Amino acid sequence: MTVLEKFAEALPLQNPWIESWKKDGKKVLGTFCSYIPDEIIYAADILPIRIRATGCTDTPMGDAYLTDTACSFTRCCLEMANRKQYNFLDGMISCNSCDQIRRLFDNIRFKAPPPFHHFLSVPGNVNQTTIDWFIHELNKFKETLEENFNVDISDNKLRDTIKLYNQSRTLLKELYLLRKNKAPPITGTEMMNILLTNISIPKEQFNELLSQQLQEINRKEGISDYKARIMLAGSMLDDPEYVKIIEDLGGLVVTDSYCLGPRLFWENVDETKNPMDALANYYMSRVSCPRMAGGQSNRVEYILDLIKEFNVDGVILQRMKFCALWWGEIFIIRKKLKELNIPFLDLEREYMVSGVGAMKTRVQGFLEVLESR
Amino acid sequence: MKKLDEEFYQKYKKLGRGSWGKEFLLIKGMYNGMLNLMKTQEEFIEPMETILKIFLSIGKARKEGRSIIMYPFNYGPELFHTMNLQPLMQELFSVGLAPFHMNEPYLDFSNNVGYGDNPTLCNASRPLIGAYLQGAAPVPDLLFFLSTPCNSLSINYQVFESLTGVPTYNMDIPYWACEQDSEFYDPTILEYIITQSKEFIGWLEKQTNQKFNIENFQQTMARLNEARGYIMEFNELLKTVPCPVPSMTGFWNWFFMTTIGGTADAVDVTKYTRDRAAESVKEGIGGVEDEKIRIGWPYTHVFFEGPELFNWLEETYGAVTIMDILGYYKVRPQKTETLEECYESLATGTLDYSMIGSCRGPVEYYIDYVIDYVKDYKLDCVIYPMQYACKHAFAMARITSEVVKEETGIPSLIFGCDPYDSREVPSEAIRGKISDFLTQIVM
Repeated sequence: MTVLEKFAEALPLQNPWIESWKKDGKKVLGTFCSYIPDEIIYAADILPIRIRATGCTDTPMGDAYLTDTACSFTRCCLEMANRKQYNFLDGMISCNSCDQIRRLFDNIRFKAPPPFHHFLSVPGNVNQTTIDWFIHELNKFKETLEENFNVDISDNKLRDTIKLYNQSRTLLKELYLLRKNKAPPITGTEMMNILLTNISIPKEQFNELLSQQLQEINRKEGISDYKARIMLAGSMLDDPEYVKIIEDLGGLVVTDSYCLGPRLFWENVDETKNPMDALANYYMSRVSCPRMAGGQSNRVEYILDLIKEFNVDGVILQRMKFCALWWGEIFIIRKKLKELNIPFLDLEREYMVSGVGAMKTRVQGFLEVLESR
Repeated sequence: MKKLDEEFYQKYKKLGRGSWGKEFLLIKGMYNGMLNLMKTQEEFIEPMETILKIFLSIGKARKEGRSIIMYPFNYGPELFHTMNLQPLMQELFSVGLAPFHMNEPYLDFSNNVGYGDNPTLCNASRPLIGAYLQGAAPVPDLLFFLSTPCNSLSINYQVFESLTGVPTYNMDIPYWACEQDSEFYDPTILEYIITQSKEFIGWLEKQTNQKFNIENFQQTMARLNEARGYIMEFNELLKTVPCPVPSMTGFWNWFFMTTIGGTADAVDVTKYTRDRAAESVKEGIGGVEDEKIRIGWPYTHVFFEGPELFNWLEETYGAVTIMDILGYYKVRPQKTETLEECYESLATGTLDYSMIGSCRGPVEYYIDYVIDYVKDYKLDCVIYPMQYACKHAFAMARITSEVVKEETGIPSLIFGCDPYDSREVPSEAIRGKISDFLTQIVM
C-alpha cells in the first residue's frame, strides 16, 4: 500500500486510527471550525477531529429544522447527528464560525445532544482587545475540558502539542510548495486526501505518514500532461471527488483557498510565547476566513499571491449554495480577478457532490478557454 | 393629536422640494412616499412627522459638511449624536423602499451583477449594493457595523467598504450573557463591550478630527435612558387586555431609538407613544376594536406590506399584533450619573438591542424571549414570518415553537418569505397562510 493509499483510508468518518485511539480508552471530540484550536484538545490527550458529513445522502431533518435554505453542509450534519452517525464522538465543540454552524450546534444540542459540548465565542475582528477576549475564551475552554474529562492541561503539555502541530504545518507546507513545480508531483485530489487526514487522525501518526509521503514523492515523476493549472477557492469543501472531477477533465489543481487549505498551515504558532497567548494570536491573526468581519482586502491579496506563486492559469470559485459569506467574498474576488484579467469560473454547489454533468460541461468549457489563451 | 391639515401637508411638501442630489434621490422618494402615506395614517402623524425630519436631516448634513455615518439597524446612534455626526441607518433603504416596491429594481440589479440572491443574502442590505452600483445610494463618510446578528450584514458591509473605500469600523459582539442569573453568564462581557466602545470613540475622534465631548455624551445618555424609560412603560401597558394601541405602534419605538436615540426628539416621540397607550388603558379602549386574538410576532414586519398586513389582521380577525422583534425594544433604563455608568449603559444597550439581545447567542436567548413574550402579553398565537436568507433566525423558529407549545400550549405558524420583495411570496400567499392558521388552529 502506498502512503497515498493510506491517506485515503482516513476519509470515512470513522477511520482505523480513530478506532485504535478509542480502543486505548481515549476520547475523541468533534469540532466544527478551523478557529477552534485543536492543540488545546490534543494536549488533554483527546483526539480532535473536524466534523464532516461524509456519506450523507438526504436531509429531511435538516430541511425541517434548519430550513431548506440553510447550506447543505449544516443540513447534512444535523441529519447525521440525528441518525447517530456521530455517536463515536465523546463530544462536540463549536463556535460562531457562521450563522448556519452556530444554529446547527443549537439544533444538535436540542435534538441529538452529544455527551459533552462546548461553544467558543470567537471574535469577529482582530485587535488587541479581541485577542485578549479570545485568550479568555481559550482559558475557559481549557478549564472546561479539564473539569469534564478530569485531565490536566499544563503549559508544558500545551508547548509540546504546539510543537507537534507545528511539525505538521511545516511538513504540509513543504509538500504543498512542491505544487509550484512546473510538473507538480501531486494532484489536487491527492492533496485534499492529505488535508482531510490532517484533520482526522492523531498528529504523531499523521506526521509520520507525511514524512514518508515526502520521501516517496521525491522518487515520483511530476505531472505534466495537464491542460491548465487551477486554483480552487471558496466554501467549506471536504470531498476529494469534487476535485477529481476537475482533474479528470485535464485541469490540475495546484493551489487552493478553502477551509482546509494552506491558511491552516502556512505559518507556525509561536513556540516562545505563553502557549495560550500564542494560540490566540495565531488563530486570530493568520489569514482569515470570510467569517471575520474585517480583513477582506488581505484575504483577496492572499489569493492573488497564491495565484502568482503557483503560476495559476485560472481560478475555480466554488460556492456552497446558500452560503452568504462566500457569496459576498466571491463577489469581491471576481471583481479583482476581472481587473487583473485572470480567468475564473464561478460554480455553485451542494455539500454532496451532485449535478456532475452540468459541472463537467462548465469545467470543460473553462479549461478550453484556458488552453486557448 | 396632530391633524394632517393642508397647512401641515404644504409645509412639508415645500421643505421636500428642490434638488436633493442624485445620491439622495431615494431618500427624497421615501420622504414623498411617507408624506403621502400620512394621509391615510392619521393616528401616526406625530411619529411620521419625526421620520420626515430624519430624512431632511440627512440631506442637510451633507450640505453643511457634517460627516454621515452609515450603521446597521441594531445599534443605537447615541455616540453619533454626541459627536454631531449624521446617523444614516443602512436599512432605512430596504425598509423604507419596500412598501413602495422600490427595492425591486435594485435587487434585480444586484442579481444581474452576481451579488447574491434572496435565499442566500438578506435583502435588508442587498438593495444598497444595487443602488450604489447605479449611483443611487449616498456614500457615507464613515461605516460602522457589528459582527452580529448575521453574516449577511457583516459581508454586505465588507463589500460596501471594498466598493467605496469608506473608512470602516467593526465591533465584536460576543455570545455570552451579562445577567448574573443566566447559565451563559460571563463576568467580563460588559467590560469587553465598554473597551470596544471606547476604542470606537477614539477611532471616531481620529476620523472626524474632533474631541469626544464628555458632557454631551452624558446628556445624550441621560436623554437616551429617559426614552428607554418611556418605552419600558409602554411595553408594560401593552400587557393590558385589550391591547391599548394598534399593531404598528411598537415599531416606532425601535425606529426612533435606532435613528434618533439620545436626542430630545426621541424623548418626545417615545413619551407621546407611551402617553397614547396610557390614555387608552385608562379609558379601557383597545387599539383594535373588539380585540379577539393577540398575536406575537417575534420577527420583523413583512415590510413590503407597510401597515396593510396588520390592518387586514385587525379588520378581518380582530387580531392585534402586540409587537414585532424590533419594536419589542427591551433595553431597560440605567443610571447615568457618572461617566462610567454612561459607558455601562451604552454597553448594555449594545448587548440587549432589539434582535441583538435575542439572537446574538445560543438559541435559549430566543426561546426565553418568546416564552416570556407569550406569557407576559397573554398571547393566543405566535407568527414567525421568516426571511429566507435569515439563516440564524429561521433555524431557531422550529425549536422555539416546539418549546413554546410544550411550555405554554400556544400554537405557532412559521413560514418563509422575503419581507423586502413582494415577488418572492406575494401578499395573497402570506395572507392565505395566516388565514388558515387563525381560522383552523387558533380560533
